[in-house]
Amino acid sequence: MLKEYFIRRALYLLPVLIFISFMSFSLIYIAPGDPAEIMMTSPSGGYDEAAVEAFRIAHGLDQPFYIQYLNWLKHAAVGDFGYSYMSEQSVFETVLDAFRNTLTLSVLALAIALVIAIPLGVVSALKRNTVVDDACRFGALLGVSMPNFLQAYLMIILFSVIIHWLPASGFGHGTDISYMILPAIVLGTGSAAIMMRMIRSSMLDVMGKEYIQTARGKGMSEKIVIIRHALKNALVPVITVIGLSIGFLLNGSVVVETIFGWSGIGNLVVNSILSHDYMMVQGSVLFVAIIFLLINFFVDIVYVWANPEIRYDRNS
Amino acid sequence: MTLRMKLSLACTAVFFAIIICTGCVQTEDSEEKVLRVALTTGPDTGGSLDPSISWEGWPMRRTGIYETLFSYDENMNLQPELATGYKQLNDTEWEIQLRRNVTFHDGTIMEADAVISSINRILDPSNSRSSEYSFIKNVYKTDDYTIVVETNESYAPTIFMFTDTIMSIVSPNAENLDTEPVGTGPYRFVSFEPGASIELVKNPDYWGEAPKIDRIIIQYSKDAAARTLLLKSGDVDITRDVLQSEYATLEADPDTNIVSKETLRTYFMYINEGKAPFDDVRVRQSLNYAIDRQEIVDTALEGVAGSPAVGIFPDIMPWNANDKIEAYEYNPEKALELFAEAGITQGSDGRLYYNGKPFTVEIQTYTKQSVHQPMAEVIAAQFEKIGITTIIKIAETNSISSDAAAGKYDLALYSWGVAPVGDPDYFMYSHFLSTGTYASTWLRYSNPQVDEWILEARAETDEEKRAELYDMIQEQVQNDAVLVCIAYKKEIDGLSPISRVLRFIQTNTRSLQRKWNLPEELKNERQNYRTLE
Repeated sequence: MLKEYFIRRALYLLPVLIFISFMSFSLIYIAPGDPAEIMMTSPSGGYDEAAVEAFRIAHGLDQPFYIQYLNWLKHAAVGDFGYSYMSEQSVFETVLDAFRNTLTLSVLALAIALVIAIPLGVVSALKRNTVVDDACRFGALLGVSMPNFLQAYLMIILFSVIIHWLPASGFGHGTDISYMILPAIVLGTGSAAIMMRMIRSSMLDVMGKEYIQTARGKGMSEKIVIIRHALKNALVPVITVIGLSIGFLLNGSVVVETIFGWSGIGNLVVNSILSHDYMMVQGSVLFVAIIFLLINFFVDIVYVWANPEIRYDRNS
Repeated sequence: MTLRMKLSLACTAVFFAIIICTGCVQTEDSEEKVLRVALTTGPDTGGSLDPSISWEGWPMRRTGIYETLFSYDENMNLQPELATGYKQLNDTEWEIQLRRNVTFHDGTIMEADAVISSINRILDPSNSRSSEYSFIKNVYKTDDYTIVVETNESYAPTIFMFTDTIMSIVSPNAENLDTEPVGTGPYRFVSFEPGASIELVKNPDYWGEAPKIDRIIIQYSKDAAARTLLLKSGDVDITRDVLQSEYATLEADPDTNIVSKETLRTYFMYINEGKAPFDDVRVRQSLNYAIDRQEIVDTALEGVAGSPAVGIFPDIMPWNANDKIEAYEYNPEKALELFAEAGITQGSDGRLYYNGKPFTVEIQTYTKQSVHQPMAEVIAAQFEKIGITTIIKIAETNSISSDAAAGKYDLALYSWGVAPVGDPDYFMYSHFLSTGTYASTWLRYSNPQVDEWILEARAETDEEKRAELYDMIQEQVQNDAVLVCIAYKKEIDGLSPISRVLRFIQTNTRSLQRKWNLPEELKNERQNYRTLE
């Protein structure tokens, strides 16, 4: 059954992918202006008409829209996203490099999020309506409501400007963990707040279930009841939230990566949009969309696998 | 594995991380003199480091890796760099003598063949900017240290065109200029993280004055607030492009120095002469009289990020005629008078009317330059004061550009680096020659007399005569009120306390500041430092 579901779900991806590719390609063309002219406009302000014309022909921009799209799609299908208009570098390789850096940051952020969210969520549920619960819920509210950029600046001011523990921003060589801590905390706490609230309500829900009473009745210790019975079941709905968080983290937080100067995919997308690097924008948008789709796909699969109660058969 | 074990492992990992990082921040600095700099933009997306690709040469110049045949000193005087001099042989041939005893970072000797192959990379039709150099017919050598540039026609800016960073001289033996730049400059390439940073180390074999800093780390940060925080936290010694709104607080902070310096960027407004009533010179002059440039500088630029403009060229541009041409002083009465002559009259409600309808002006602008919008708002308020109904439209540059090409705009507030190679021809040719890109599609300006002067000046190689022609052009376009020139941009840079800045000053400043950008304050401090010695 799971296998069938897997295949059917995978087939659904295809039309979505084609739709996304069309959107990411055409969005740029819906924007006003002539790409060749924009590309050939110098930072000081002007452009050279002969250069614009030459650029247009060299990059096939003189051809009709649908031919350009089909050409692009044909290449994209085999992983060739073309070359950056600005730097003439391979889009796919550039995107992949940036993605690797975002991945590093995401893993750390997710770890931070889980480390904060799970214990606090459980404690909050167990100590429902006590000072502890209120404090946790207040913290979560703060985490959800505070914009990333504000938290980022506050953390930089505290940890870099005042107590000089961590660098204010930067990338190091992508391996120096001191540069990762602040951005990872900012990213992680945002996700943690959402996860914590989800875990809390899910735990409360589960704790009221009969099987928990049964387990208690069997004389199991409260610890085992909470961890083995309650938490395990409470985590199932949380998987979706975690999956979504991973999706968001992997697609790179534009705000966080820009403030911290992190060489990830969010930064790449912003830079490409600012410099109107069409090929790069199209390539990276398509790439992040695919990642998001795949994550969602796996979340669905894991969801079914983790909770056999859920069936997506057409017949059921 | 139980959940508790997993949790404690995760906690350990986080604590371990914190311990490592506090450790590495503290163990900084030994004998090595390191300079850390925060700049706004580095090599573009995709991160090729090849200066021959579009405008990658600009950020590469700031690294100190590459040099050009000629460059400018801080007073905008042309100076030889990898060349030692030039001679005009006849109307179309220029001989350039090359510097001897210069080696590339890979050990290759720089001589005529290397320079010619470097130049040919740009002349190749596949180079996206080759058309800018289409005036060159041929480049050949007469001996190992002499090359001759042959042009199609007499072309006065020839030598200046070799100061463009796209003309950086690269090693002919470099394996991959996209990832491993090899030049002749005072600093050698170490590593690059796209969109994040570039690291350089001094070139012990540099032909000029030995670089005094051992290592430079340039960090790129688009976020202005983050750049200021980098300076405050001591993570960088220099940060460029500080927001004007932070000038006062940084100036008051004893731990930071702040400087504001002239640039070659001018803020101005295009006027659509193709649309009535802007085809009337009196209307264009009125618009010029209606704005108070000092107030714009004091408010939108907070008094520190610019100075009021006269003509299109800033005062630091040697070709400017600002002391010879008449500035448009703020004079609302005169503006109203000229408007009335042109048929734009005041109604009983004090508003201006044109053809029985309220006289409405739309100012289009974009926000990539952050001060454009506040500037447009101040201008709109000044226009409103004399009864012009003013609308501000914020758009993307490409949308403004297509509106302009279609003739569907009134005014467009822009800013240009008016002389990328220091030569006046670039702006004059594109904006005031009736067939020029911007004259024909944006301004729709045409003055046969100006056309004649521009073409004459382009071919005139006698500098004095050429300067006279440009003075006349600047005077004429000022009288024709082709543009509304508003202000000259000043860039604000933040520097760390003097002890650390000294390390910066000891170095060859040219490698970091773009040629003409060395601030006066720094020069003074360099002298202070010398007397300290």
